[in-house]
Amino acid sequence: MLITKKAIPRRAMLRGLGATLALPLLDAMVPPLTALQRTPAKWISRFGVMYVPNGMVMEQWTPVAEGTSFELTPTLAPLAPFREDLIVMSNLACVPTPGRPGGAHAKASTRFLTDISPPTSETWLDAGISMDQIAAREMGASTQLASLELAVESGETAGACDVGFACAYTNTISWLGAATPLPTENNPRAVFERLFGDSGSTDPKARLARIRQDKSVLDSVRDEVAHLQGALGPGDRIKLVEYLDAIRDVERRIQKAEEQSDKEVPVVEHPAGIPPTYDEHVKLMCDLQVLAYQVDLTRIVTFMLGREFSGVTYPQIDVPDAHHPITHHQQEVEKIAKVAKINHYHVTQFAYLLEKLQSTPDGDGSLLDHTVMMYGTGMGDCNAHDPRNIPLLLAGGRSAQLKGGRHLRYPKETPLANLHLTLLDKLGVHLDRLGDSTGRLDDRVLAGL
Amino acid sequence: MLKPRAAWLFVCGAVALTLVYLTARSSAAPLSQAEAAATESVRPVLDRYCITCHNQRLKTAGLVLEGFDLTRAGRELDVWEKVARKLRTREMPPPGLTRPDHETYERATAALEAALDQAATTHPNPGRVVVHRLNRTEYVNAVRDLLALDIDGRSLLSADEPDQQGFDNVAGVLSVSPRLLENYLSAASVVSRLAVGDRSLGAAENTFKIPTALIQEDRTSDDLPFGSRGGISIPYQFPLDGEYRIKVVLRRQLYLYLIGMGEPHQIDIRLDGSLIKRFTIGGGGKGRTAPESFAGNTQGDPEWEVYMHTADEGLTVTVPVTAGAHDVGVSFVRRHWEPEGILQPPQRGFARTTNELYYGNPAVDIVSIAGPYSPRPAEESPSRRAVFVCHPSWEKGGSQDEECARTILSRLARRAYRRPLTEQDLQTLLDFYRAGQQEEGFEAGIQRGLRRILASPSFLFRIEREPANAAPGSVYRLDDLDLASRLSFFLWSSIPDEELLTAATRGTLSTPSGLEQQVRRMLADRRSQALVDNFVSQWLTLNKLPGVVPDVDAYPEFDENLRDAFRQETRLFVAAQLREDRGVGELLTANYTYVNERLARHYQIPNVYGSHFRRVTLDDGKRGGLLGQGSILTVTSYPNRTSPVLRGRWLLDNILGAPPPPPPPDVPALQENAGDRPRSIREQMEAHRKNPSCAVCHVRMDPLGFSLENFDALGKWRTSIDALPIDASAALPDGTKFEGIAGLRQLMTGHQEDFARTFTQKLLGYALGRSIEAADFPAIRQITRNAAAGGYRWSSLIMGVVRSTPFTMSTTRGSQVQTATSTAAP
Repeated sequence: MLITKKAIPRRAMLRGLGATLALPLLDAMVPPLTALQRTPAKWISRFGVMYVPNGMVMEQWTPVAEGTSFELTPTLAPLAPFREDLIVMSNLACVPTPGRPGGAHAKASTRFLTDISPPTSETWLDAGISMDQIAAREMGASTQLASLELAVESGETAGACDVGFACAYTNTISWLGAATPLPTENNPRAVFERLFGDSGSTDPKARLARIRQDKSVLDSVRDEVAHLQGALGPGDRIKLVEYLDAIRDVERRIQKAEEQSDKEVPVVEHPAGIPPTYDEHVKLMCDLQVLAYQVDLTRIVTFMLGREFSGVTYPQIDVPDAHHPITHHQQEVEKIAKVAKINHYHVTQFAYLLEKLQSTPDGDGSLLDHTVMMYGTGMGDCNAHDPRNIPLLLAGGRSAQLKGGRHLRYPKETPLANLHLTLLDKLGVHLDRLGDSTGRLDDRVLAGL
Repeated sequence: MLKPRAAWLFVCGAVALTLVYLTARSSAAPLSQAEAAATESVRPVLDRYCITCHNQRLKTAGLVLEGFDLTRAGRELDVWEKVARKLRTREMPPPGLTRPDHETYERATAALEAALDQAATTHPNPGRVVVHRLNRTEYVNAVRDLLALDIDGRSLLSADEPDQQGFDNVAGVLSVSPRLLENYLSAASVVSRLAVGDRSLGAAENTFKIPTALIQEDRTSDDLPFGSRGGISIPYQFPLDGEYRIKVVLRRQLYLYLIGMGEPHQIDIRLDGSLIKRFTIGGGGKGRTAPESFAGNTQGDPEWEVYMHTADEGLTVTVPVTAGAHDVGVSFVRRHWEPEGILQPPQRGFARTTNELYYGNPAVDIVSIAGPYSPRPAEESPSRRAVFVCHPSWEKGGSQDEECARTILSRLARRAYRRPLTEQDLQTLLDFYRAGQQEEGFEAGIQRGLRRILASPSFLFRIEREPANAAPGSVYRLDDLDLASRLSFFLWSSIPDEELLTAATRGTLSTPSGLEQQVRRMLADRRSQALVDNFVSQWLTLNKLPGVVPDVDAYPEFDENLRDAFRQETRLFVAAQLREDRGVGELLTANYTYVNERLARHYQIPNVYGSHFRRVTLDDGKRGGLLGQGSILTVTSYPNRTSPVLRGRWLLDNILGAPPPPPPPDVPALQENAGDRPRSIREQMEAHRKNPSCAVCHVRMDPLGFSLENFDALGKWRTSIDALPIDASAALPDGTKFEGIAGLRQLMTGHQEDFARTFTQKLLGYALGRSIEAADFPAIRQITRNAAAGGYRWSSLIMGVVRSTPFTMSTTRGSQVQTATSTAAP
């Protein structure tokens, strides 16, 4: 929707985001007793997903050659600098469970991380817990936020949803439970506030000042509660114990924030709202994502470059047409070219994120080394709305024994769920099955052995 | 749903109450006259009609009613209140078995209730409300009343869970999570900065989306000008004096073409009603257009395409606004002519979002307000006037400043905490003031102090004070300050105002005349609208209305305008009765209602034009009273059909006070038209009632629901379904026959007292913010009885609640009661 083109004066936006400062080593950030440390051999510190809607022109995505000699196709071209960090995967499938008809779009986005098809209903929510949230359950306990769900389009103000399906199915890819979709946040201001509070800046001084204020309020409130508690009977005390527990929990998070507060991070001003252009919007969201990883505020981020069924127009790349309608291209050359342009443009955004991750030092390498990024969509050929061969690639994750620089072609219709299981293994969560999984992807192949 | 902990509290509470009575009763006093009379007239009834099933051997439903005597009645309040209710509502004995005649029923019920009432008078048992957290509505109202600041609670606090009765102010259910505490802390920060007009508040953008199904063919709000069409009026809290940017995005259809761009239209942006800017939009598409029934594949000329996606860019205006609440209005200028050509049918359902409507009217999709840019030093605003009742004197220096800070903070904290401050309270606040004052000056100091007030448990929790030295588990009268809080949260869903607090501190509140005077004053205050918006809407389950999603195929005519109209009708209807202090029975029997054009069309009421609601008299015998209102008929239906069962259940539960138990597990759902021929709902339900375990409840629910079958799932009048004429005849288990809404209304007239009692029960539960227990029923009966003479007026029922034992009294907390319960638990 055109909401992405909101005119907000740029001076109000942010300052110095481009400048990356020299960063201290943050490899001590994995706290003791987390799932990560229990499986030290394979630890990855972070996981990210970038989702693009409405399928793709597959001919321009899939490399012809397999293995290490694969060529960068027109759509993949922006990723040239990261060729050695990529694993392009073909023939993974996101095929709907039989018996729940319709809704190619609702299913594409819902299945992408849950491997479960939603029912045909505008009110009944029934997906599954998504694999990012399965990971967040383990990895989120030790960070300020368990996970972040980002988007360019707002679920609330976006246009139409897939016919006959609740909007949640197309608005998010992250599900906390079968009936609990996690709303995505598209306003950088709100993302900033979740990460850094309302201090107005990531400047350590401002953050520390805010943290101190929060702490002094909490301390003082705790004293007051303790004072009140003495005078209460058991029934009432339960309520105040709840309150004290909550105080302790918040204090723990504040404590974490305080420990991190002297870490040098790029100074980012509190954004006012949504930047006026798509480019700036996506870049700002990517910057916030990298910042969140960097300061260890969260380790799991999903980011939707468009909601499924999206009708955003891209006049900046000479595609003034709404995205979804034009993907029904009916083999018209001109329309195919436009869709391919959009696909290429989205990959450019992904390249920006990878560039940020790669240029941010982390431990013994870069953030990219310690992050597994997954890029793709739950629909393959856009004209056919074909879920059988979806575009998908992994980037980064060297520390997780992912050997890049390859194009892997799997047997036809290998369930995407199999990849999910394998990734979860690397995140320290071992499940027997997930959705329609039929097994795991061969770990040795992924490691290039 | 009750959380386990809440459920546990509930059980403990109930048991504790029973126990208090038991302890009191154990002195084994001789039977009173009422008790003796009750034993005499109740026992033969039980022996004859009940113990066939409820005896030692069968223990049907776990209940033994053999050998009734009043010492048992006192000990087992839960059981005997239930027996009284089952007899009063004629639920028992089940239809088909031998039942007492009318007089016997009446006599036994009256005697049993009299005995229970007598016991309650001798040993008052007000129960106890555990510590109460402010819910979101109360928090928002408190901020409004304390700081003259309208905040959007939904963006600051997560939602509260309602209890089983649907009330969201129930102490036991209002829990505290870390997320909520974070909400409170950041809300305290945001609200305090807004209140003092902190200039470091950054620019922010807020977005208002108009639901896609809100038709904008007419004036959409009384706050928009006459002659306008569509759009929205947004009451907006502007944080600071400064420049604000208002941007409008127009509605698009499914394939993202702007609708209504075939011809020029004018769109206005207004601030507090004055025109800021008028734009002309539309008619600029060049070249060949896409087909009108656009299916997603055929495009128009490139230039046309660009225009259809981007024509609304630039509907933006920047305007200086002062801090405080202002109305932002966006609307079209209405065209008083139709374009030439074939008159098109109105777009409904799916077509509304798909068709292009090139020559139709454009509509507003989103309005966003961003700012402040270049904020000016804060001057006057309603909030600053509420906060800064004094100003530091620059000449005199520090100590004078602190004097003023002391005045400001103690005044705010007294109202926020709803009690006089202790020196300790004040010192805490002054510490925060000093920290802020030293760093950033006087106003920052006040802001820090205010932030501390808003994060205080004394603000966020309602904790009632007990008399010193009272024995644990003993009954006491609330002090005036706690009574003041109960009153204001009951009638206003907010904190007490200065006058109420003053009455409480002077001790005049608890005098009979003082109490009545305050209640009448508070009811006359507009804040008492909270009773309608919170109590009534929760009692009638109208809070489900926003979530209703009627099936587009079955009800293509449904639009958001109708949903709004439903809500508004009931709201105005109930508010008028409250203001005019009618008898509550009129809620069911009134021959008038409130409609606008949209609703009048739905109700087939002629000669009502425009979006404004007005009172109309109804004389067709169809509508009239809550039971003919679309709001209630819709929330008691399924998306694609009516449900006599849901409606019947709703009536039993909320109107007649005789809720059926929940259905047994593993009940198969109704099959839609299973078998070889369509079957009506009535036939299906008749089949269902053949199963005796279903019948016991359904014989009570279904007839009530069937009498409303002339109203479809959106409350529209109908005389047939699928070409079968509607059969709205019904019979109660006792054989009473009635037909249709008229018959039902007639029936309800005979149940005035039941209705008044149910109303009172719900009202008392809401007023206390806790579940109703068996020990509360004597109070409920007394309130109802006392109000009978005046025809159950709103004011008399409200006064009755406010004067009742559970409202004015409480039981001291005590570990003794707590430990004793374990042995007393059945």
